[in-house]
Amino acid sequence: MSGLFPIFRREMLSLWVTPLAWVLVTVFLLLQGISYALVVRHLAAAPAVSVDAGPVQAYFGQSVFLIISLLLLCPGLTMRVFAEERRSGTIESLLTAPVTPAAVVLGKYLAVLVTYALMWAPTVLYVVILRNTGGIDWHVVGTCYLGVLAIGAGYLALGVLMSSLTRSQLVAFLLTVAIEFGLFIFGIGEYIFDPGFWLDLSTHVSVFSQMDELSKGIVDLRRLTFDGSLIALPLFVTARVVDSWRWG
Amino acid sequence: MIEVEGLTKDYGTVLALRGLSFRVGVGEVVGFVGPNGAGKSTTLRILAGYLGQTAGKVRIGGHDLETASLAVRRLIGYMPETSPLYPELRVREYLTFRAALKQVPRRERCRAIARAMELAAVEAEADTLTGHLSRGFRQRVGLADALLASPPLLILDEPTAGLDPNQIREVRRVIRELGREHTILLSTHILSEVETTCDRALVVSRGRLVGEGPIEELREQRRGRRVRLVLRDTAGAAAELLGAREGVRVLERSVLEPGVVRLELRIERSSEGVEAEALLACLVAAGIGVRELSPIRASLEDVFATLTQAPNGVQREPSLPADDSAAATADGSGS
Repeated sequence: MSGLFPIFRREMLSLWVTPLAWVLVTVFLLLQGISYALVVRHLAAAPAVSVDAGPVQAYFGQSVFLIISLLLLCPGLTMRVFAEERRSGTIESLLTAPVTPAAVVLGKYLAVLVTYALMWAPTVLYVVILRNTGGIDWHVVGTCYLGVLAIGAGYLALGVLMSSLTRSQLVAFLLTVAIEFGLFIFGIGEYIFDPGFWLDLSTHVSVFSQMDELSKGIVDLRRLTFDGSLIALPLFVTARVVDSWRWG
Repeated sequence: MIEVEGLTKDYGTVLALRGLSFRVGVGEVVGFVGPNGAGKSTTLRILAGYLGQTAGKVRIGGHDLETASLAVRRLIGYMPETSPLYPELRVREYLTFRAALKQVPRRERCRAIARAMELAAVEAEADTLTGHLSRGFRQRVGLADALLASPPLLILDEPTAGLDPNQIREVRRVIRELGREHTILLSTHILSEVETTCDRALVVSRGRLVGEGPIEELREQRRGRRVRLVLRDTAGAAAELLGAREGVRVLERSVLEPGVVRLELRIERSSEGVEAEALLACLVAAGIGVRELSPIRASLEDVFATLTQAPNGVQREPSLPADDSAAATADGSGS
């Protein structure tokens, strides 16, 4: 796996010295802040509702804002990773260095994953602030963050794959949004389909249900396995795609 | 150092390389020349491990490129044609990244970067963003990158493309200097570059090797085959007389002053017996005064044009042409 760490470091540097990461983090935190403020204000106005779900549960498990911001944030982070290298030609010097395709893919992926995690980090402050007003179940907070990390990691892996399929960042972005949005919409099928195969499938895929469960502290291994597949499969295919460029 | 056999690359719609074979020995500086689209970059990209070949064998430093690609890439410092860089990184940051990628040990990294920057003369721009560099400096950063791990083999794809004359001279000087320690394969379509920097040239055209040999030898291949004569000839008898000889063709006749003409002859390869001496004897016997006889030295450009403009590529010439002796004689008696 030679070359993984230098590639990871170069990606991190490139992400954070250009405006892209800062623009994304600003928009993302703005959306999250609004979402969280709305949840807290709503629950403050109707204390009876919070018996079922506290602000943490409502924010992570019942807010569509969270999913939508993931649908935009993840493709934004991944769109340039390969598309830009291929457009500018830097991929040639990268692949003629003694590095394996797997190291290239993982180095880049880890960089966007760590950046994604860093973007979420400030939101821990919301919970810390909330602690002053009442008790916090830190286990639930932990499972909630596990959820956003697992779902985001899958979305990022899909984005990395899409970025390897085109030289255009815009096309990579749109392809990733289309697929992730498709998965999200298919997940909503759990409220629409009649009992049967499609209902089962859409329930398994549903991001909404997964976040709802995790926000109640329920960790379902099947869902984590699905997330794991959504990470491993696209990354494996990306490594094959990178290798296939030699035969172009 | 490099052994290439039957290298073929098919892009699907274009057959870029058609059974290319050549060898480059350790310590040689070899120029890979050919017109645009001849397959130079494709070959270098295959050697550098960026592209895969459709057929053929490549061995570099004793390793098979297909089965030991990583080992081969460790031996090579490759400079792509366009020297693509990450515009958001400073020159030093970029070279540090490349050094880490090439597994230059951490302790030696600073020294290796300083040496590469010195050789490529980019120290003054060490803290400049690569996105702000001029084309010439980008090329030099590409060269510094290729030199980072002190690889035994340097593959440089058009290292002087887009540089100004001073920069070209500087880069050629660096290449000559590097040639003392490294094996170098560089591609170019500028022949003077090959003449000034390389020991040997490989001429490719349409994906085939059409000429190969030391620079002098390549030039010699065409030397002496064209001869210039200045004669005292009023009636045009000389042209007629020479034109009638087997294997001699009069290419051009011009009158320099009344009664004095200049002829340019081409001596065909097939008539090996024709020599300057025989021509002179024939002219003198006919009572024609010879004022000057000199071989027209073919430039490398002429050789290049002859080799690469043949419809399907000319086969390599096995040996020096026999009419070389005529040239040698003419050299002595010429102007």
